[in-house]
This record gives sequence, C-alpha cells and structure tokens, in this order.
Amino acid sequence: MIRFDNLSFGYSHKKMLYNNLTLSVENGSIYGLLGKNGAGKSTLLKNIAGTLFPIKGTVYVDGIEPRDRKPSFLRTIYYLAEDVYVPALTIKQYQALFAPFYPLFSQDDFYKNLRELEVGIDSKLNKLSFGQQKKFVIAFALACNTKILLMDEPTNGLDIPSKAQFRKLIASAMNDERIIFISTHQIRDLENMIDKVMIVDNGNLLLYSSITEIGEKLCFKTVKQIPEGANILYTEKMLRGTSVIMENINGEDTAINLEHLFNGVTENPAIAQKIFPIN
Amino acid sequence: MNDTFDPRRFYLLFKKVTLERPIQIIGVMGLILCFTVILYSLVLYSIDYGSAQNLSFIWGLAGGGTVLSAFVFNYFNTNAAGAAYLTLPASVFEKWLCAVLIAGIFFLLIFLGFYRLMDYCFVTAYHNGLNHDSPLYKNQYDHVYIYPFLQNQVVKKVFIIWANLSGVMLVGSLYFNKVAIVKVALAACVLAGIIYFLNLAVASLFFKNIDIAFPYYTVLIKVRSEVGVINLPHIGSFIVDAFINVIIPATLWITALIKLKEKEI
Repeated sequence: MIRFDNLSFGYSHKKMLYNNLTLSVENGSIYGLLGKNGAGKSTLLKNIAGTLFPIKGTVYVDGIEPRDRKPSFLRTIYYLAEDVYVPALTIKQYQALFAPFYPLFSQDDFYKNLRELEVGIDSKLNKLSFGQQKKFVIAFALACNTKILLMDEPTNGLDIPSKAQFRKLIASAMNDERIIFISTHQIRDLENMIDKVMIVDNGNLLLYSSITEIGEKLCFKTVKQIPEGANILYTEKMLRGTSVIMENINGEDTAINLEHLFNGVTENPAIAQKIFPIN
Repeated sequence: MNDTFDPRRFYLLFKKVTLERPIQIIGVMGLILCFTVILYSLVLYSIDYGSAQNLSFIWGLAGGGTVLSAFVFNYFNTNAAGAAYLTLPASVFEKWLCAVLIAGIFFLLIFLGFYRLMDYCFVTAYHNGLNHDSPLYKNQYDHVYIYPFLQNQVVKKVFIIWANLSGVMLVGSLYFNKVAIVKVALAACVLAGIIYFLNLAVASLFFKNIDIAFPYYTVLIKVRSEVGVINLPHIGSFIVDAFINVIIPATLWITALIKLKEKEI
C-alpha cells in the first residue's frame, strides 16, 4: 500500500506544487495518473520512487519511506522515466548486468515481452530507435516483477500496434499484490486498461476514483438537447449532437470516455469534487 | 537483508558500473595513461628527464585523476539515467564506495603501476644507450634515475592536489547535473582566484613589500634586492598542513556520500 501523509512538495519553497496531499493507494490495481503537461504527474511518481523528497509530510510504501532508498525497498519498485536511458550494451549484456538486482526477475517473461513488443534482440540498445528503446525498457520493467511499477508516459513514442501490445502486457502482468501506476497525458492510451483514475492539475488531486464508481456516478452520452436540470460535468459539440457527461441519477450503464472525463474534471473541478469527494 | 553493505550486491554493482559505460570509465583511464606517455615523451624531447618525469606525473595524476572523478557520478545528464542510477537496488554507501574505489584506489594503483613501468622503460632505454667506455658514463648514468615515489616533495604535493581536486570534482558532479566537469572547473577557478586575492589582501595588511602571496606555501616579500619567504609558525603550519592534507580532502570525499544520499532528480 502507498500512503501519502500530508505530502507537500514544490520545486521552490515559495511555489508549492502539492499541498498537504493525503491519500492511500491499495494493492491490486492499475492506476491511471492523468494530467496536463507540468501538472505534477511525474513529481508524484518520483516522490513514490524516492528520487524526489517531500518538503513536508511523508510518503510510505508498505510502511517504508522511499527517500531512504534502501536496497530492500528499491528491489520492490521499478520506476520507468519518461525519457529513455539505455547504455551501449546488447540486450543479453543488459540483462546480465541489471537483472540480478531484482530477485523476482523472470527471463522467460522478459523474452516473451520482447517478442510481443517486437524488439529485435541482436543489436546494441543505443542503436535502436527511440520507440524500440522504449519498448525494451517496458519489457525489462515488467519482467522485473516488482511489487510496484511506476511508468511515466510509457506510451510516448510507441506506434499504434505497440500501444495495443503494451495494454495486453500490462493486463497480463497484473496481480492482486501489484500496484501499477501509469502517468500520461495521452488519455486514450489507457482506456480499458486501468482500474482507478487519478487526475491531477497544478498539483491538486482533482479526482481519485475507480472506473466502477465513475460508471455508477456519471453518465456519458451524446444528446440532441441537454436535459434541463441535469448536473452537467462536461459538454462538447459533436457532429451528431452534444456529447455530455452528467450525474448518473437513473443508474444508466454507459461507456466511459476518459478524454471527456479528464476535460470535464479539469474544467469543472468543483463539480467533480462534489460528485467524487476526496477525503 | 543488509541495507548498508552486502558483498554480493556490491560485486554486482561494481561490475555493472564498470561494464555499463566502459568508454567513460575504462576509456577515460586509458586516455589518461596515453596522455601521460605523450606528455612524458614531448617534455623529454624538448627539455630533459627530470622535467618530463615531474610534469607527466603532475598532469597525469592530479589532472587525469580529477577528470576521471568527474565521470564516476556522471549519471545525471538525463532524468532517465539519473533515476535509473538512484533507484538501482544498491545502497548509497555501496554506490559511493564504487566511485571511491574507481576514482581513488584503482586509478591510483593503475596510474602508479603504469607510471613506474613507463618511467622504467624510458630510463632503462637511456641507460642502455650510454657509452660504457665514456669517462662521463658514471655522471650520465646517475643524472637520470627512476622517479622516486617516496621522499619526493613533488609527489607528496601532487597527491595532496589530486586528493583535494578529485574530492571537489566528486562533490561537484553531484551538485551539477549537466556538464559538471566544466561547471566545477569554473567554480574551482573562481574559488582559487578569490582565495588568492583574499590571501594577497590579508598579507598586504601585515607586510607592505609583498612580492607574491600565493596561499600558504608561497608568500614572498621583497627586502631591497632580496626576496624572503614568510613561513607560518610551527603550530600554525601543522594545523594548515593537517587541513590541506587530510581534513579538507576527507571532508570532500565524505561530503560526496552525504550528497549522494540527498541527491534528487
């Protein structure tokens, strides 16, 4: 479990990004961390990984403070940064040097992931294209089988078939003990993959809810005319009418549109907070 | 599980650090050794053995060692490389120890071993090339000798400079994420300039006829046509020696451990 206890973080003391954030993140879910560029998604992940330290408050990962960066903690977490770092090694050499640090690393999983993502295994990593390098680090991160997997914009640079493969791999890698965090501003990449949604903007957590709860509380549909008296979170003119997100008072079962949800929550945070109160 | 030091984990880390970036660590070390041979040869060709030995030792150990120190923590050029290094499951102490072993112990041993071998070859070639029947043979033979590492004031001072500058570079490469070597070198030059002028100002307060006031070792005054050296009193000299030779380098190398623990990216 990951727990944020009054977390305050800012790159300067004068301008805080997060102020007294308190929340718990349970095991066994894939979390989609959504936000615009510079909203604070990477910052949150880095605070969990222990590469940034809170100014006030504490982050606990299974009762351990990440900032200590103890090996017993680091072997249970894998942080995949947005940009890619690969040394001038072959895949086999990389595996020989890096995999022994992760006790649950599975070679079978690794090569299976590489095959699924169609990464050639013969050439040196630094000679691969950016997309191939990205797929390689995703394959390695998943094969480490760490309890917590933090992925910062993992789908950036992936082609469309690879994005689909990525979703399949994430789904197959999930189990009840694992927490997978995927931060992105490419919201569509996460559709049908995540269990819980977190939306951040300017360091504020605007929404933290499960997909099931969102489906129960909100209704996504396209209408000719906006119903009167409905509690509307978002509207967008479309060719066939107006796409709306409104409070689901009749218990309708509609397909969630994450992109519209994101726009609705960031444009109308007050309404979102009313429907999905945090803490 | 020991979170501070584990021999197997340390072995894996050391292997990873050296083999992950062989060009940066092994390559830089190789370049330093090549540079030392070239400098030795050039100075030998243009001046003589004594100068060649001194200059190549000074620039090889102090200069080369400082450059190598700038590379051992060279992970923070990019967010991904820095994060991968910081989140690699090894302790901060192990990561620091790896850097100290590479920049401190192994470089020193390799450099000294290489230097001795190189110097031996040059000196032996010179001795073998002498005319054994010449009346000047003994003088010529004794004129060139293998560079002594012990009881040699130049070597002692070079060691001190290397220990201080390498410490500065280790700490500096953890402060600056990008082009650390350039930024630290500039910062060190500015600091040296400030110390020099501060020292000159303080010395000028006490003596009106200051000739040179290079910090600590070379404060000279002019008395008519003569130049005299101002030495510190014995106890003062001991304290300053202790600071420069031991306390400052030790503090710098330990500060690198603390800075690595506190490093954020």
